[in-house]
Amino acid sequence: MSADTRVQSLALLVAAALLGLASSAAAQSRTATLNVTINGFVRLTLSSSGVSFPDSNPDLVPQVPGTPGPLAITVKGRTAADANLRLSVLASDDLRSGVRTILASNITWTATGDGFVAGTLNPTTAQPVGSWIGAGARSGSQSLLFRNLWTHPPGTYTLTMTYTLSSP
Amino acid sequence: MRNTLVKVGLSTAAAVLLMSSSAYAQATANASLNVTVNVAARARLTLGAAAITFADQDPGTVPTLTATALTVDVGARTSPAGNVALTVLATGPLASGGNTIAINNLAWTSTGTGFAATGTSNATTAQSVGTWTGPGSRAGSQTYTLPNSWTYAVGTYTTTLNYTLSVP
Repeated sequence: MSADTRVQSLALLVAAALLGLASSAAAQSRTATLNVTINGFVRLTLSSSGVSFPDSNPDLVPQVPGTPGPLAITVKGRTAADANLRLSVLASDDLRSGVRTILASNITWTATGDGFVAGTLNPTTAQPVGSWIGAGARSGSQSLLFRNLWTHPPGTYTLTMTYTLSSP
Repeated sequence: MRNTLVKVGLSTAAAVLLMSSSAYAQATANASLNVTVNVAARARLTLGAAAITFADQDPGTVPTLTATALTVDVGARTSPAGNVALTVLATGPLASGGNTIAINNLAWTSTGTGFAATGTSNATTAQSVGTWTGPGSRAGSQTYTLPNSWTYAVGTYTTTLNYTLSVP
């Protein structure tokens, strides 16, 4: 195929395509809608997987702060603009050391950060840690405290706190 | 080609409708925090004063000298069945130079749960001031008395009372 022949063939194809489009445009109109689906999604990050309360003199330290210090909490939620985003925490049980127990309610917390609230741990009812409206990322901290009483029997007590972030 | 476009458009719209119902379906995220509380055995004994004094009185009008009540605070962290005991032992008789007053003249009455209602000082055998079971903080008071006898030689008599709190 010569160079001239190639040019002619291409011109014919373009002309045919233009004719086809012209006839379509003249005959019908269609709207193509581009939809992007963004699913609801939440993410919860804690700065530590464990907190411990060292033994302390109840007279000198009536509220023992947890170590390693305030727990940084990051909450991310992709929700509807008016949807609620809730973060709660539930204790697995009371504090237990063998058969000895200390009420989980002896663990309390203070909070910093917009939407975060102070509270008292409970093993039967999830307690609010924070709530927000709409999508976004929020950061705050929770400072856990243990109520240090003379009436606590000696032992090494444990429980697990389960945080749940949810959006409807 | 047009049919194909229409079908694609409908399919997309249907997909969007289907997806829109689940776009903000409930989303949750969980995180756990392990909590450890260390509680060690402890004992605390606090006396309201480091010394008690009997003011001189006329034996004819005040047959018994009474000191200001001594507050006694006891704290114990022990097992729920642990026996907590508070005792007092005098170092010797009330002495003023070569003159003495027998220590068993120094008696007391007490108030407070678990405190012995009455007692008599002894320099050889520790005397019970109070007993309790299990952990806790207890408060009471002791009021010492001394017979104001005409037979006492003039002088300033002293002794030391050593208190011992035992927590298993």
